[in-house]
Amino acid sequence: MPKYKDMVQPARASEKEMKKLHIDLTPDDQKCEKALQYLDEMRKKFRSFVTAMESCVKCGACAENCHTYLGTKDPNNIPTNRAELIRKIYKRYFTLEGRWFGKLVGAEDISLDVIEEWYSYFYQCSECRRCARSCPFGIDTCEVTFVGRQILHWLGITPRLHANTGGAMENTGNHMNLPRPGIVDTLEFLADDILDEFGVEVNFPVDKPDSDIIYIPSSADFALNPYTLMGAGLFFTYIGANWTIPSKVTEAGNFGFLFDQRFTQRHNVMRLLDAAQELGAKKIVWGECGHGWRAAKMYVPTMADRPVHWPITHIHDEVAHYIRTNQLKLDPSRNDHPTTLHDPCNYARACDLQENLRTVVKACVSDFREMTPNKDWTFCCGGGSGILFDDPEMYQRRIQLSAKKAELVRATGVGANGNGYLCAPCSICKAQLYPMVEEHNLGVEVKGLIDLVGKALVF
Amino acid sequence: MSYFIMQILPYITLVVFTFGVLFRLGRWAGSRIVHNITLAPFPQRNSQVLGIFAAEVIFFRSLFSSDRPLWAGAWLMHMALFGAIGGHLVGIYFLGKQFVYLGMSEHLSEQMSALLGTSAGLALLAGLVYLLIRRLTVQKVKEVTGTSDYLQLVLLLAIVVVGNIMRLFEHDLGIAYAPAKDYVAHLLMLKPLPMDHLAITTPFFVLHLLFVQILLMVFPFSKLMHVFGMFANRWIINRVYKDPASGLPNVDIAAARQAGIGVPSGEGGV
Repeated sequence: MPKYKDMVQPARASEKEMKKLHIDLTPDDQKCEKALQYLDEMRKKFRSFVTAMESCVKCGACAENCHTYLGTKDPNNIPTNRAELIRKIYKRYFTLEGRWFGKLVGAEDISLDVIEEWYSYFYQCSECRRCARSCPFGIDTCEVTFVGRQILHWLGITPRLHANTGGAMENTGNHMNLPRPGIVDTLEFLADDILDEFGVEVNFPVDKPDSDIIYIPSSADFALNPYTLMGAGLFFTYIGANWTIPSKVTEAGNFGFLFDQRFTQRHNVMRLLDAAQELGAKKIVWGECGHGWRAAKMYVPTMADRPVHWPITHIHDEVAHYIRTNQLKLDPSRNDHPTTLHDPCNYARACDLQENLRTVVKACVSDFREMTPNKDWTFCCGGGSGILFDDPEMYQRRIQLSAKKAELVRATGVGANGNGYLCAPCSICKAQLYPMVEEHNLGVEVKGLIDLVGKALVF
Repeated sequence: MSYFIMQILPYITLVVFTFGVLFRLGRWAGSRIVHNITLAPFPQRNSQVLGIFAAEVIFFRSLFSSDRPLWAGAWLMHMALFGAIGGHLVGIYFLGKQFVYLGMSEHLSEQMSALLGTSAGLALLAGLVYLLIRRLTVQKVKEVTGTSDYLQLVLLLAIVVVGNIMRLFEHDLGIAYAPAKDYVAHLLMLKPLPMDHLAITTPFFVLHLLFVQILLMVFPFSKLMHVFGMFANRWIINRVYKDPASGLPNVDIAAARQAGIGVPSGEGGV
């Protein structure tokens, strides 16, 4: 069982798995020295990290605004205390007060135990930024988690789940390790399903040259959320778009964003730009994936090694645009279940998508009920940043991390009769919530947003 | 000792504070805003950014939403602190006669100045005590509090208690505006004070200044940097962001529907 001195830890990637990400494991006797070297590099680079280190007053406002602390009641899961795991080292080695006064100001020598603490707690943080929203100074503790995970990755400490997902991207262009023939097969299969279920002829073009639009689906949609992919197909067919799915990058997510914001993330970005160039795209449209959308919308401009010629929008933005301009005929009675919307943290806090989500969902369902708090104050599903570990110990943790969300869903009353819809338009949210709505007996079915659009479109 | 605290230490304090803060801010400036981490809802104009800054600085808006009990104490404490600092500057410069410019008599102005000063001092004390009790009793706050957090609160309390004693027992223990102003003038003009000057012979005044100077020297090397950190952080996370226009290239929905795209031939669709 992956447990270290009473801390839960996800299973780690092996040496061989890390090699696929071009990382060699750091031997134990060099870890501390290397960690300090990497930390020094980080603090000189990221201002968001430095100001988080140097301006927190430890007021505790973040504590009960963090679903991780609420669910686990572990003091180290209070956002400022999680940051303190690095801050105590930062103080000790990079500040005068820490060098001179040590423990009095909370400075501490680095040790392997500290590094193990990082591994445990930075992988319980969802990087959802509710702490940044609630902090009176706007300290973004997510930036600290980013730095912590990056240092761990360079030391060779990465969860197996993240490492393999990131590695699959380099291998196949998606996180699920789906090869091109598998993608084409699945899409043909989905087209048949659509014809059977909706009576609509949808064609999923793959790698079609001279396409105006390239659509980047979440690879999880091929296996776990087929209705999301079907919904996108129905939408593009309805509007008569000249679109295609590039097999080079069938992945809206970017796990590099979550553990390695250098090579792994940048590599995914470059695949995207290559595909857009090869296929002659005019616009890139993103599929349902929360962290992936943040990585695409906010990080592609600063990650790309060359100018980005293509506007990148989210499929929800586009659907909302056509709803607002009255160009889609939608029949909300086809989704006649009590429905509530879970705002994925990356959409609502990092990408300002919350209003468009509402435009779309309200047009597609007949009984919509808001959850509170919502929008930029949304609580994370508990799986944010891909902490979807399924070894028994970590799975129990996931149930705790989703407790707050479960409470909010229950308060909407949509599941009272057992036929509610919980619209969670993000692949990680879906992967977390599919089992969690069962664990918490919420009486709801988890749906993507484009699923509902596809069903409501009147051809 | 009083002579050192009142005539020499202030210059040391000034140097430590100024260079300490510049050193810290310089380090912040040396690092970069690498990626766009603006928080939603995205402001569309700089005037909106200004509005966010103003609401945070004046009303502590985020804190109001995230932790109401803390907001009550913190807002009271900080507003009283701003009032007290402003009162020190204005009261000492104008010798309490600042409200004459608002049409009051000199006597009334002095009384007004004393009343406002006393209120701010007591409100500040109340706020600090509230925050200290909170640190000592609320579980989540206990869990985030370290030794230095307590020490800084105690230091602030010491400054405020001494200040309030001088204010409340002005004739026995305090000091009038005039000698205080005279002291500041001597400091600024680099002129030594006579040894029997009230500023040196009033024990509570000396103590008050000693604590304040300790606080100012601790300032650049502590969480007190949050004063600047607030602006530095918000400069990163509250910025204008404009979305690309929506609407897809070469899409004509009316024509597509007219042509019946997707509708199987002869079946008429759903």
